Amino acid sequence: MVEFKVTFFPDNKSVEVPDDTTILSAALSAGVSLNSACGGDGVCGRCRIILKKGRVVTQPNGRISAEERSRGVYLACSTSIHSDVEIEVPAESRLELESLSPQDVELRLKGKYAQAEEVDIPVPGLVDGIFSGVPLVEKISVALPQPTHQDRVSDLERLYRAVSRPGQASVPLLTGLSNIRRLGELLRAADWRVTVTVNWREGSREIVAIEPGNTENKNFGFAFDIGTTTISGQLVDLNNKKILGTKAVYNRQASFGSDVITRIIYAQQAEGLEKLHHAVIDTMNQIIHDLAVEHGVDLNDASGVTCAGNTVMIHLLLRIDPAYIRREPYVPTANTVPVIRASESGIKINPRGLLYCVPGVAGYVGGDVTAGVLSCGLDREKDVCVLVDIGTNGEIVAGNRDFLIAASASAGPAFEGSGVTCGMRSSKGAIQKVRLNRESPPVYETIGGCKPRGICGSGYIDSIAAMLKAGILDKAGRIKDGADERVREGQYGREYVLSYREEADADSDIVITESDIENIKRAKAAIHAAAHILLKHCDMDFKDVKKFFIAGGFGTCLDTDNAVILGLLPDIDREKFIFVGNSSLSGSRSVLLSEEAFRKSGEIAGKITYFELSVEPAYMDEYMAALFFPHTDLNRFRGAL
Amino acid sequence: MAIGMLQEKWPGKVNETVIGADKSRGGTRSNVVKTGGEASLPFLFHEGVFPHKPVIAFEIWDTAPADWPDELNKSLSGVYNDPLAWADKCINEYKAELLCVKLQGAHPDFGNRSADAEAKFISRLLKKVSVPLVITGCGDDAKDNQVIPACCEAAKGERCLFGDAVQDNYKTLAAAVSADGHSIIAESPIDINIAKQLNILISDMGLPVERIVMNPTIGAMGYGLEYAYSIMERARLAALSGDKMMASPFICFVGQETWKAKEARVSAVEFPSWGPETERGIIWEAMTAAALLQAGADILVMRHPKAVEKVRGYIDELMRGNTP
Repeated sequence: MVEFKVTFFPDNKSVEVPDDTTILSAALSAGVSLNSACGGDGVCGRCRIILKKGRVVTQPNGRISAEERSRGVYLACSTSIHSDVEIEVPAESRLELESLSPQDVELRLKGKYAQAEEVDIPVPGLVDGIFSGVPLVEKISVALPQPTHQDRVSDLERLYRAVSRPGQASVPLLTGLSNIRRLGELLRAADWRVTVTVNWREGSREIVAIEPGNTENKNFGFAFDIGTTTISGQLVDLNNKKILGTKAVYNRQASFGSDVITRIIYAQQAEGLEKLHHAVIDTMNQIIHDLAVEHGVDLNDASGVTCAGNTVMIHLLLRIDPAYIRREPYVPTANTVPVIRASESGIKINPRGLLYCVPGVAGYVGGDVTAGVLSCGLDREKDVCVLVDIGTNGEIVAGNRDFLIAASASAGPAFEGSGVTCGMRSSKGAIQKVRLNRESPPVYETIGGCKPRGICGSGYIDSIAAMLKAGILDKAGRIKDGADERVREGQYGREYVLSYREEADADSDIVITESDIENIKRAKAAIHAAAHILLKHCDMDFKDVKKFFIAGGFGTCLDTDNAVILGLLPDIDREKFIFVGNSSLSGSRSVLLSEEAFRKSGEIAGKITYFELSVEPAYMDEYMAALFFPHTDLNRFRGAL
Repeated sequence: MAIGMLQEKWPGKVNETVIGADKSRGGTRSNVVKTGGEASLPFLFHEGVFPHKPVIAFEIWDTAPADWPDELNKSLSGVYNDPLAWADKCINEYKAELLCVKLQGAHPDFGNRSADAEAKFISRLLKKVSVPLVITGCGDDAKDNQVIPACCEAAKGERCLFGDAVQDNYKTLAAAVSADGHSIIAESPIDINIAKQLNILISDMGLPVERIVMNPTIGAMGYGLEYAYSIMERARLAALSGDKMMASPFICFVGQETWKAKEARVSAVEFPSWGPETERGIIWEAMTAAALLQAGADILVMRHPKAVEKVRGYIDELMRGNTP
């Protein structure tokens, strides 16, 4: 077979690939991560590369302008290699897999910047300290009395007798055969002084490890939020419940598609499920490894991992085929997965350590929502509250201590910076705050304060609200001709230039197009309509809501007034809005730290009624009416105008 | 014990739109047409006022229609080539109180007449006839954006009703209509949300909502009439419930839709069981109009004089109970 050498710059990484291989595949083999939101379908236009040398064949797709073509720009997914080639990967086509900066992580977890002070509820640990009980993993140091003729109890029972706690007599203890096989010798070699790691399982306790001596003070665990876009993990000291470190990394599955549906489809391809599974495991192991190294933790001292994620992510994590979640009536293989050995899934902690997944509710309402409810304390509120998790799937939970009901709306990834021309995730260089003044150029603030590379969700919210206020945009989302000198006809229709190339760290001007605005409009309409219909179904209205929790990764800050102007959030007392940032991770950590919280999460998942919007006729009507800024029913948004 | 009649009382009412300006209003029309203003569902006079009876506008073109069926041609083809004579015939022979002129000749595929030529045509027509005018473009957005503003200027002060503004193309039209004191037709694709959104967008341009007439887009009988009907009914219920942005009168292009229908066009030779085509098209147009009147139509744009006659009689009969 003919093979060609492909070299990627500036990485200077080379790989040999067969004739007719796409550049995208070659990049994957070479370990060069390219943006590919659509999963290689040639529609997102994110995997632009510049051909420096060599012969390729490309499929026409309308995403590359004549001017770009003359500079040698191609889409990596639609272009195949037919000679030795040299390829330049521009910065904006790179899928950055490196960790977010600690500062970004902190802000992302808080879910906001400036407005943090205005909220008097501690964020994100809203319920820390509420749950009592022991962590899911305990280490117990014991000194066993040596057996005598008077005390001839077996070694194992002797151990059980020592680790039983008052009041837990009825909780059965279990031990794996491998531990029992070593037990006799170990106890005698350690002079009957050992440390036992006891993990909670459903209704029982398992002795997962027995070590000589006293290592009681080294007991760690990891809490994870498995997001479609971002995976966040925390290292926690289970003895003093302190968070030692937090890291957030982009989910490596992103190169197989940016939303869960694309990934379910990808999972159906040959080895697709395996690739997706390895991508998520690799991402998690990277976080675990980095945190352990930074904090000097031996992974043998970490015997528990908790995960909260949407149902599809949990299926992929466990390498369960998610195919049926996509097909009517959208039934997952499992909402609640039993506690399993972490190593069975590929997670690298203590090989006998356990993996706990926060139970989910339905195919599109997963454990991340359960964890969110747990961490906001929605299930303990007296008055009706709402939690909205704004992501690719917008999830909405309404309820209080008496009832909980949840729905999921497919909002699309626009708020996470995907499917929009200059969109990006909320990382360094993303425009996240915008103010417009007709007399002067736009004023914007980027994450990290550096030159802009693109726009994140909160940047879009600010920009569109500002354009509406400045009269550049009409309420249907169309840019007015000649409304501003920054309005022009672009390749994909009319657009507004937020930042010219000269002032940006990008290959072209940073613009907002009419079709971007259309995407944002659809996303906000889906979320708003879902929340409205869900409440209406309960014979309620937004005004009946006492607290409105907002979670999600659309940015690190959110201007609620602007979100109301767009019609994303309802026009209610702004004091009712509470940002909870990554509520899924907070919930996941609560579970890790408290066996009671883990049981509670099961109760919450069981208590949440799933409301399927796709079979609710009123949803479509409400969605159509919401396709306007702020809404066709202006009376609902009197305070926004 | 006597049982009292349960009566619906509505908090809102339909906006009143005036088409045409007579001398007292600064124009040269001999009559004006007032439409809308009702505070009840169609013809339910005990619910609230129903001040103006629905009006019929005769549809005329600035150019000879090529594909109108024989039954229409029979009564009108003699005047096809002279729009002024066509207008005259409608007024004198068929007693038209309102004309709807379609500037089809401006369409790039049907003559591509210039904005200037169309403006001159409107000036001549205004001199020739004294009834108020509804003036609609050719449907090509780019061309209409040139032609309609020129015609607005030519008809300045005559308070015509210009159309059609759509969500993707309303700004130029709204600005021109607003500047020259006319009213506008806001067309939506059988979509209650877009209907309202367009009214909001046009109002945001500074044109008072009282100068907007909604074209909800209709289908002829058998061609989605019931869909259009329910949209109109929902919009009207919203208007009567107090939604000002849904409270515009309706204009329905009945003739245009009816005479596209196969049932209105084909001959009895082809479909003997359908009966003579001389009657069928007329009945089809009249029946479609009658149904839309019940849905709340305020202005019916029609083509066949005999169909107009039938619908006029029907309206008169329905209005008989209206004793204010």
